[in-house]
Amino acid sequence: MIRNLENLIIKVGDVDRRVIFVLIGLAVLIPLLTPVSLPIRETPTTVKFYEGIEEIPKGSKVLVSFDYGPSTRPEIHPMNVAVLRHMLRNEHKVYISCLWPDGIYMALDALEDISDEFSLKEYEDYVLLGYRPGAEAVIKGLASDLRKVYTVDANGKFIDDIKMMDNVKNLNDFAYIYSGSAGYPGTFEWVKYGGDPTGVRMSSGTTSVQVNEVIPYVRSGQLIGLLAGMPGAAEYEKLVESPGIAIKGMAAQSFAHIVIVVFIIFGNIAFFLKQKKERKYSK
Amino acid sequence: MTLSTMIGAWVAVFLTLSIFSYLYKDNPFYKIAEHVFVGVSAAYVAAISFWTQIYPNLLGRLFPKDGPLSFTGLEFDFNHSFNILYVFPLLLGLMMILSVFQKFNWMARWGIAYTVAIAAGLKAFGYLNSNVLNQVSASVISLFGENLPFFNISGDSVFNNIVLLLGTISSLMYFYFSKEQRGNFGKLTRVGIYFLMISFGASFGFAVMGRISLLVGRFRELIAYSEPSYNYSTIWLLILIVAFLFYHSLREKESNT
Repeated sequence: MIRNLENLIIKVGDVDRRVIFVLIGLAVLIPLLTPVSLPIRETPTTVKFYEGIEEIPKGSKVLVSFDYGPSTRPEIHPMNVAVLRHMLRNEHKVYISCLWPDGIYMALDALEDISDEFSLKEYEDYVLLGYRPGAEAVIKGLASDLRKVYTVDANGKFIDDIKMMDNVKNLNDFAYIYSGSAGYPGTFEWVKYGGDPTGVRMSSGTTSVQVNEVIPYVRSGQLIGLLAGMPGAAEYEKLVESPGIAIKGMAAQSFAHIVIVVFIIFGNIAFFLKQKKERKYSK
Repeated sequence: MTLSTMIGAWVAVFLTLSIFSYLYKDNPFYKIAEHVFVGVSAAYVAAISFWTQIYPNLLGRLFPKDGPLSFTGLEFDFNHSFNILYVFPLLLGLMMILSVFQKFNWMARWGIAYTVAIAAGLKAFGYLNSNVLNQVSASVISLFGENLPFFNISGDSVFNNIVLLLGTISSLMYFYFSKEQRGNFGKLTRVGIYFLMISFGASFGFAVMGRISLLVGRFRELIAYSEPSYNYSTIWLLILIVAFLFYHSLREKESNT
């Protein structure tokens, strides 16, 4: 009986990788087709992030940077939409920059998502500054003189002709900086060349892959909270009371994690059983 | 629904399924998607960099409206005044482009040298200030701060402060190679290894979580595009690709036998 079980586990350990792909695919697909509601508990970094935005005086100027593209859209886009919603609800004036070439399309999509809800008017509620190549050099430029980097906005309109840009000379004129970042250039560059040198309060939403490296900035106070991947986005959607695609995706995420954990456990048991068997026969 | 939205949906589904088909094995669909991605990305970045940076910020400053070079007939009005210093980036840029000719490829070195020097200077300051000084000062904490609970998993506590102190010192000691890692020093560095292992484990967990999130995003779009309003694009293209892969593997088997 036990020998049969051992053989079965070893067989599972040797399963074709394509079977694992199919099972993970099903674990993601089924909860998306038949939505399951799982409880979401806010983590301290998300709460800190929320409170950080709440602390900004109403009607302040805030800079939101779209530093991601379609490849990481499922993780960052929901949090950026929720952040815009939160900021506009608190009547802040939003200035949007992009360090990634396709960030501008992500920004346009996010603005379209909330346009009706807030009856958004360009140049009254927000300015889409657009993309500039140069990564940290762009941030350094924004910190010293915004007009050296942006002479025109994303629509080609002269910055000097935009009323919302009056009295905006550099990063010091913003009350808050937020970067929705999927890698380089993103959070790290904003902290190093934007937040730290100017002292402007800032925070970020990042992909899960970056969380381990970015989290020390939260402890040191260089970032006011952090939205960590899709779970961070879901928690934030819950806090701002606007359930969106991140909350809907969490069940699929959880089921896929269960499948992966089960395979890791089986894989390890199978590895040790195989070793034991090989040792037995080699004697 | 407009025709362009419909075409966009079909192209998106085709490229997504083509990339997923690699999970089965390397095949022509995957190759098509891979080449399209590389080509489109390169062209898009080149075009957008020209129109958002070179055009307004370089040409706009060398050939402003009513500037000294307006006799050339080139005028780009971006509210800039003429700045002769911008000749240098123009020259360095041209020298880098000229490196496509073997005879002039030495010219690229000047541009690369300039870029490397600027990047090194910028990054050195950023790392030193944000990653060294600020992080060191953040690790200077009062172990038994006022009214601090002994244990609190999600907030500040004496226990968490001790873990932070031990983790920082032992991990740093692991990278101290001027003393052999034996005896008490060896025990401390071993603790450092455990902290590093936990950190790598957390990184792996986060990486898995990230990849699953991306899969959720793609599946959500595939589900949306399988609706009648998109003419069941996901279903039709899935059948097409699976049928082709099946036929392809049969042909391969036949040719092998």
